[in-house]
Amino acid sequence: MKSVITVIKEQIEHFYLVKRLSLYELKSSNSNNYLGMAWEIINPLIQILIYWFVFGYGIRQRNEIPLENGMEVPFIHWMLAGIILWFFFYQSTIKGSKSIYSRLRMLSKMNFPMSVIPNYIIFSQLYIHLVMWFITVVIMQISGYPINFYYLQFVYFLFATFIFIFALALVTSTLSTIIRDVHMFLNATLRMLLYLSPILWQISGIDDPFIQTIMKINPLYYLIEGYRAGFFGLGWYFIENWEYTLYFWAVTGMLLIIGSTIHVKFRRHFIDFL
Amino acid sequence: MEKAIIVKNVSKKYKLYKKSSEKILDLITPKSYGEDFYALRHVDFDAEKGDVVGFVGINGSGKSTLSNIIAGIVPETTGSVTLNGQAALIAVASGLKGDLTGRENIELKCLMLGFSKKEIQAMEDDIIEFAELEKFIDQPVKSYSSGMKSRLGFAISVNIDPDILIIDEALSVGDKAFAEKSLEKMKEFKSRGKTMIFVSHSISQMKKFCEKILWLEFGVVKEFGPVDEVMPKYEDFLEKYKKMSKKEKRKYREGAIKNNSKLKTTTI
Repeated sequence: MKSVITVIKEQIEHFYLVKRLSLYELKSSNSNNYLGMAWEIINPLIQILIYWFVFGYGIRQRNEIPLENGMEVPFIHWMLAGIILWFFFYQSTIKGSKSIYSRLRMLSKMNFPMSVIPNYIIFSQLYIHLVMWFITVVIMQISGYPINFYYLQFVYFLFATFIFIFALALVTSTLSTIIRDVHMFLNATLRMLLYLSPILWQISGIDDPFIQTIMKINPLYYLIEGYRAGFFGLGWYFIENWEYTLYFWAVTGMLLIIGSTIHVKFRRHFIDFL
Repeated sequence: MEKAIIVKNVSKKYKLYKKSSEKILDLITPKSYGEDFYALRHVDFDAEKGDVVGFVGINGSGKSTLSNIIAGIVPETTGSVTLNGQAALIAVASGLKGDLTGRENIELKCLMLGFSKKEIQAMEDDIIEFAELEKFIDQPVKSYSSGMKSRLGFAISVNIDPDILIIDEALSVGDKAFAEKSLEKMKEFKSRGKTMIFVSHSISQMKKFCEKILWLEFGVVKEFGPVDEVMPKYEDFLEKYKKMSKKEKRKYREGAIKNNSKLKTTTI
């Protein structure tokens, strides 16, 4: 518990640094391309198009997706609401996991705590996510899903997503610095997770309630459904599903405690593991 | 006089594993796997404020390990290092990001060293001027020559005005004019009472510049004292060592290491 407080304090104290470093991170990873940072948006857009073509146009035969309140929305809108969160999660987790060991040599003699490293990596992805989110809002707006009162819950869900990713990144970045295989394992697991989350197909369409519950173990389910509730104005997801909210924060809290504890314990010796 | 660096009984142990499975087992099981290798053994030394200490020794004697430990990059296994002030390490590969321009690297590095926006703006011009990069300052660092890179690294480290400066072979890259200029800058530091540690194979540079010499041999302090006392001994040793045949060298090394490990048991 003590290490959780230490880590959180470090994030607050070095907030300006996180902001600047995250911008440099984006800049340096795109400096070779003529289109520069635009690729951070173009890349996911291309992926969205192909998913839409395969899953929406091909497999689902352009059928609409029924929502809980009886509303039916086109597949592309339904997918868009979830997949933008997925991209944020996926990119931050992959990059967060290798953030420490790939930068250690350069960063080891610096006057800031190492727990800031995964944070600024996630932060650089947050900018991209906000742009993607904004594009989605515009698309929703012009295709008949106007901005509604329930948009307010985006503040909550964005916060929850960020904390969740950060907690996870603390765990994975520490473990993969010590044992590099963890990063490979994570890579493989995440690819699977895309299909186990309600992004490309509707898990709630499964009849078996047991399997539905199993699928909800995945905290991403909570976040994605929360996003959808906002975009389509379905209600206050985190209040209506308060048990699920409790579960989500219990998982996130656990990750944060484990992550901070091992991070604080091992960080002085990270360089020995290179 | 006030002490700037106090190194007390510092040892650095590395583990040599034969297989990667040993590494995992060592990590998760309480039993110890792998062979111990001591890069440093019970090193004791201290430097007063304003001292210029040179580290000498043949390859593999632990000079770089010791300077990294003092700079805080590598943790020591046992013992303690107390610093009185901020230390900056200048090494040839001084952590510059290849994709960013020189100017951006300056900001990035200073930010990470904990400077504020205003302080960085104030320093930027001095750094650029000192590094003599001119037009190249707005080019990505990966297009720099190795001399340019070390010049930039040196300029940044020097201009952040550290209390303790550790220079690890950094001056062997630039041309003579730049080396002169850097020596000038270090003399200025010296006159301002800053502490410096100098790691180099160039004996002439050491003689010109250092006041004290720490002679390391296979991780153990062989001798520590004023430059005109230790340096001649070291030079004699180098002469002798150079003349040794391969076999003799190995024998010498093994003998020294054996002696050193005995040292460990006696001092504990």
